[in-house]
Amino acid sequence: MTLASTSAVGGVGISCRSVTSGYLGHPVLHEVSFSIDEPAIYVVLGPNGAGKTTLFRTLAGILRPTQGEVFVGGEPIDRQSSRDRLHYLSHVDGMPDGLTVREALGFYAAVEGATTADVERVLGQLEVADLAEKYLSELSAGQRKRVSIGRVFLRERSIYLLDEPTANLDPKLSREIRNLILRLSQNRIVLYSSHNLFEAREIGRYVLAIRSGRLAIFDRIENLRGTRYLIGLRTVEPTDALSDFTRQGDYFLRELPGPEAVPELISDVQRRGVKIREVREMDNPLEDLFT
Amino acid sequence: MATRGEPASLLGITVWRSFNTGRLYLVIGLVVSAFWAGILGATDSPTFDTIVPLLIPVLANTGTMGGMLVFTNDRVKGVLEYLLAYGVSPRRIFMNVLVASFVQVSIVTTLAIGAGVTVHFASGYGVDATFVRATLTYSVPMNFAVAAFVSTAGMFWTSLSTPRSGMNSPLGLLPLLGIAPPGLVLILTEALPGYYFVLTSGAAVVIAVAAIALIRNLDRLLPRERLLSPA
Repeated sequence: MTLASTSAVGGVGISCRSVTSGYLGHPVLHEVSFSIDEPAIYVVLGPNGAGKTTLFRTLAGILRPTQGEVFVGGEPIDRQSSRDRLHYLSHVDGMPDGLTVREALGFYAAVEGATTADVERVLGQLEVADLAEKYLSELSAGQRKRVSIGRVFLRERSIYLLDEPTANLDPKLSREIRNLILRLSQNRIVLYSSHNLFEAREIGRYVLAIRSGRLAIFDRIENLRGTRYLIGLRTVEPTDALSDFTRQGDYFLRELPGPEAVPELISDVQRRGVKIREVREMDNPLEDLFT
Repeated sequence: MATRGEPASLLGITVWRSFNTGRLYLVIGLVVSAFWAGILGATDSPTFDTIVPLLIPVLANTGTMGGMLVFTNDRVKGVLEYLLAYGVSPRRIFMNVLVASFVQVSIVTTLAIGAGVTVHFASGYGVDATFVRATLTYSVPMNFAVAAFVSTAGMFWTSLSTPRSGMNSPLGLLPLLGIAPPGLVLILTEALPGYYFVLTSGAAVVIAVAAIALIRNLDRLLPRERLLSPA
């Protein structure tokens, strides 16, 4: 599948040609092909176990395909010149133990050929300068994630592979991270994996949906068919105050435009004097995408 | 966008991090080695000349802990995955850890020999050919052979599964792989004193051959997938 119009900086795109890849001879991805040239955020969507991380590891040259090839700027990924055009952020934070924030960024700077001036710039840019002398073990999960993401700002690259950068983060920090990535994506190709369709809609221009190791959808995000976001509320006591909700067993149902509308819904229900026992997503919007 | 050719070697930073991470084990190794070498240094020549060269390899492999802990932690935290993405080869990652282990083992060895010989001279004894020969044919080669063997086998072992405390960690493996071979030589030479040089030289050769075999087969033992975080 090819969605190419304008070119990325330096004419560097990334493509997969019939790539089959996996672990120790067991394939996870099956004959995945696509070509990306246009600078934009491409959200790689898929349920857990679909093969998103395997795709990122293969694109980054960590895993070698058992079949097919990955190209960056027209060159095979196993060339150093190709690797130098990529930044890769794994789903684990990748922060070395026993170092301070400044030392950790210095370690990454050494790997990437960046300078101490770059480290200082990133510390300021990500507003973590006051944490510079703290050990990574002393940081909160959010602070660690911020520092972890900081390493992709040490040097400019054409292509950014970001594997679930907002996983396990609270909504506020997720939004901050997404804003950082939006800033990063100016004239760059950013592949960003997520299992959240609504997050994809918020930041992505294109979607690559992976299911069972195969590329199921590659399209502009606005072309995805509408999906509903159905929230169910269970109350502490029986109530008549939610008569405008649909009932399903113990749950009062309400369709929302997306997760960002949940806090407002909860406030509305509480204003009616209803005590909430449970709030849950009743459907998996990602499953709807594939059906 | 400019490219930068080969990725950085990272040897210096790996050595520094292994000191930083394994400093507790290094200090223990230094103190215990210096203590026993010093105690034995005050004894008469035959005991000193034969026992100290045998004892050093038992204690010196505490110097391998720093490098192995860096390897284990980096794998779990996804640092190795990051290095692979930037073009650092698995072999280079391993060799950096190995060199870091050699540096620390050298420090323990040098201090232990230095402390023992200093105390021995200060006690009015001289060093004879047995000590020099045993140190050169056994202590020094055995130290590096054991360090290479423990590092290689330790990395292979920890790469096999999700690290847990105990036998999946390098700390759990050290007594088995690091201390057992020189410990066994120490016991055997006590039981068979007439075969002292056969046993010591033979053991050093066997462990060195095992370490070389492991290093030569590293690409098969440690495929890239084994370096990825199990998280």
